Amino acid sequence: MNVIALTWRFNRAGGRRGWQGHLLAAAAAAVSALILLLVLAVYLGAGTRGDHAAWRTPTPDPRGSAVQALSTSFVRDTPVTVVQLAQLPGRPATVAPPGLAAFPRPGEVYLSPALATLVRELPPGQLADRFPRPASYQTIGAAGLASPDELVAVIGRAAADPAIKEAPESDPGLGLAARAIVSGFARTAGKPGVFFAFDQAGALIAAGLLVVPVLVLAAASGRLGAARREQRLAGLRLAGATPRQILAMTGVEAFAVGAAGAAAGAAAYGLLLPAVAGIPYGVGAWYPRALWVGPALLLAMIAVIAAVIAVSAMSALRRVAVAPLGVAQQADPRRTRITRLIVFLVAAGYVGIRASDGNLGTSGTVALMLLCYGAYLTLGPWVVDQLGRIIGRYARRPATLLAARRLSDDPRGAWRTVSGLVLAGFVAGFCSVAQLGAIGASHPGQVAVAVPAEGGQTAEAVAERARDRLGAAGVKATVEADPEDSPLWETGIVAQVAGGPAEIDTALTALSGLVPGAVPYTQDLSNADIAMAVRQLGQIGFGALLLSFLTATTSAGLTAAATVLDRRRTYRLLRLAGTPLALLNRARTWETAVPLVVLAGGTTAIGIFAATRLNSMVGGAQSTNISMLAGCLLIGAAAMFAAIGASRPLLRAVTADPVRADD
Amino acid sequence: MSDVLAGSGLVKKYGPTTALAGVDVAVRSGESLAIMGPSGSGKSTLLHVLAGVIRPDDGRVMLGEERIDRLGENKLSALRRDRFGFVFQSGQLLPELPAEENVALPLMLSGLRRRDAVARARRWFGPLGLDGLQGRRPGQLSGGQAQRVAIARALVVEPDVVFADEPTGALDQATGEEVIRLLTTVSRSLGSALVMVTHDAGVAAHCDRIVQVRDGHIVDEWHAAVPARNGATR
Repeated sequence: MNVIALTWRFNRAGGRRGWQGHLLAAAAAAVSALILLLVLAVYLGAGTRGDHAAWRTPTPDPRGSAVQALSTSFVRDTPVTVVQLAQLPGRPATVAPPGLAAFPRPGEVYLSPALATLVRELPPGQLADRFPRPASYQTIGAAGLASPDELVAVIGRAAADPAIKEAPESDPGLGLAARAIVSGFARTAGKPGVFFAFDQAGALIAAGLLVVPVLVLAAASGRLGAARREQRLAGLRLAGATPRQILAMTGVEAFAVGAAGAAAGAAAYGLLLPAVAGIPYGVGAWYPRALWVGPALLLAMIAVIAAVIAVSAMSALRRVAVAPLGVAQQADPRRTRITRLIVFLVAAGYVGIRASDGNLGTSGTVALMLLCYGAYLTLGPWVVDQLGRIIGRYARRPATLLAARRLSDDPRGAWRTVSGLVLAGFVAGFCSVAQLGAIGASHPGQVAVAVPAEGGQTAEAVAERARDRLGAAGVKATVEADPEDSPLWETGIVAQVAGGPAEIDTALTALSGLVPGAVPYTQDLSNADIAMAVRQLGQIGFGALLLSFLTATTSAGLTAAATVLDRRRTYRLLRLAGTPLALLNRARTWETAVPLVVLAGGTTAIGIFAATRLNSMVGGAQSTNISMLAGCLLIGAAAMFAAIGASRPLLRAVTADPVRADD
Repeated sequence: MSDVLAGSGLVKKYGPTTALAGVDVAVRSGESLAIMGPSGSGKSTLLHVLAGVIRPDDGRVMLGEERIDRLGENKLSALRRDRFGFVFQSGQLLPELPAEENVALPLMLSGLRRRDAVARARRWFGPLGLDGLQGRRPGQLSGGQAQRVAIARALVVEPDVVFADEPTGALDQATGEEVIRLLTTVSRSLGSALVMVTHDAGVAAHCDRIVQVRDGHIVDEWHAAVPARNGATR
């Protein structure tokens, strides 16, 4: 009988409990695959979005056929990207930009669907009057948009129109304005604008926060049912099976279970894609196809998850392969070595030194985060072992004693139950600080217009015209020429508008075209980069927190259930000896709570430290959100009790018949 | 001496199979009773019904003056913890606890402080030939040593009844003899009744009384010659 046939034979004969173990492992694999696919999809999708937006930034070509001018405005504090295009006379016809049916003729206006909706909903004086008013607007297709929520306008102009001719050639600050002669609109030629600059970096940070807890979950699923498998394979080993046969059987079994689970996770990813695409990130929601990773990556992810589970299962069986009698008799407690502490201290020291300069960059930060995770994964079992020994020395009650002895008897197993939640502590600490406040220009209620010196106009004259325009639009404002408090770096006028967003938008609209080529300016524009980074960090933090607690709770719940199945004989005997079920549950809670409280405190502190470094990197203000941290701790505690509580019925079921032989 | 444990009219069925078909059996304080019979005869079911682990379909089980076959799970747990002791073929010790804590566990479960429970548990190690093994874990003990620790754990609460299910089944003959001698003499000295299931006539011969079970009935009963070394005698 070959290895696969033998493995299948054993599993068929494994009974209901055996299949329960496989189902738990498959469920863990499914959650792992789902989360990793979502993280990968967001990372790749962010790149795709950047590509879809890149065409708007002109790629200069002096021998080109058209003039392209990019500018940015705001409505209701949301950026509106405006691309003006003019065909140069006597030059070959220019191709249409992505998403447009044709190159726009003068007076034609293409709007993104979201902007078209706003144009219909808002009074013309707040938005529509910023653009030419054609008989009908045309629509920008998905090929030219990064997100269905994006506000984009493409306006056709004559080459001599001052609106495009006088537009600034560049915006030295944020790159929100540019003008150049172009020959086309290559998708990847231009740099994605400031609104996409943090997209992939943010996704990478989310991946850094989540990938380790998810891989820990996948690895833990490979060890589900380990005790049962060890007993069975130790018997085989004693019967003469070679270590290679034992490992092959384990690998085949774990890979098959992992692949089945990961395939289910991949199916869930496919089904959830439309719903996930609706979750806003950066400039808005996603086009579902941007989040589709493709069949090759899908299959690769299934294979990776299954491989992680198989390797984890095989490494758990090294003891069987080497010393089957040791497993059969359970002779020695699984001690941990102090080298784990040394490795942790060395890694922590290195992270501390590297992080101290605050100029790591995204990939450097993610690398240090992964190193923190790795160091903690190494340290975890050692701390659990020490905790077990200390508590065991002083325990007075049976539940505490049972928990302490269990911790020091199998610290790695106990660590596996809590490791997900402990690592989620890192994410919670990180996110409680990463909700940073923006340090940026603060000019509330101001709308400014630059007055270029070469334009032949004085700021005072422009201010006078601005007062007229604002008055005609019904906006109450005081207008000054070159005031001290101004968002502008150059000469210009500033209108201090009384009222809220509607009045600001009316002022922005009224002052559009006041100085040809000059886009009215607000603090939104000044802070566009950091505001987007802050928003995205918040979204990443929330998403990572949600997914890490999902991972952690799944991990803790599945491991707790698997432990009940693995230790059912012990539990039955304890019940037979008169141990109340409540006491067994108390012992299980202690087993989980003690290492969780101690270790999660450490990871939370490290998370806070990492977010502090990141805040320094993006120039944000440090502000710890205590209520969010407290909320996360409550969620963590609830997750732990849910994980333990979910396996209570299983414990009751497996101990219902205490004299039953092992099945 | 009055019966400490008595079952009367005990019936237990598993689907179409009748494991016990109206069994009457009783045991007195300090008496040892061996239940023998072929595989599937119902002897283990009888032990489990008497111990309150399985509820009979019919009949009653009395512990002294108290009927126990209708008690709730919590009361049965307390009963098993405080008034019964159990010894099985193997593996009943908790692998993560050292021997002395395994023995002390029932006392701790009954509310005794850990220090006092361990102190009382240690007293059993000398008489049972376990000196020096207090700190060892079950995996570090031989089969005979582990069974003696299990006996200590069963007797440490000074139970009314000790239930033993094939207690020597995993041991060689010499070790089995030693273990069963300890089990019977120590429980007798404590005044605890011993109810033991075995298929080994040599083991059964250590008991005061032997019943033979077949097809759910007690088909024979006799007193053993004590001490017996060469099998049961009638």
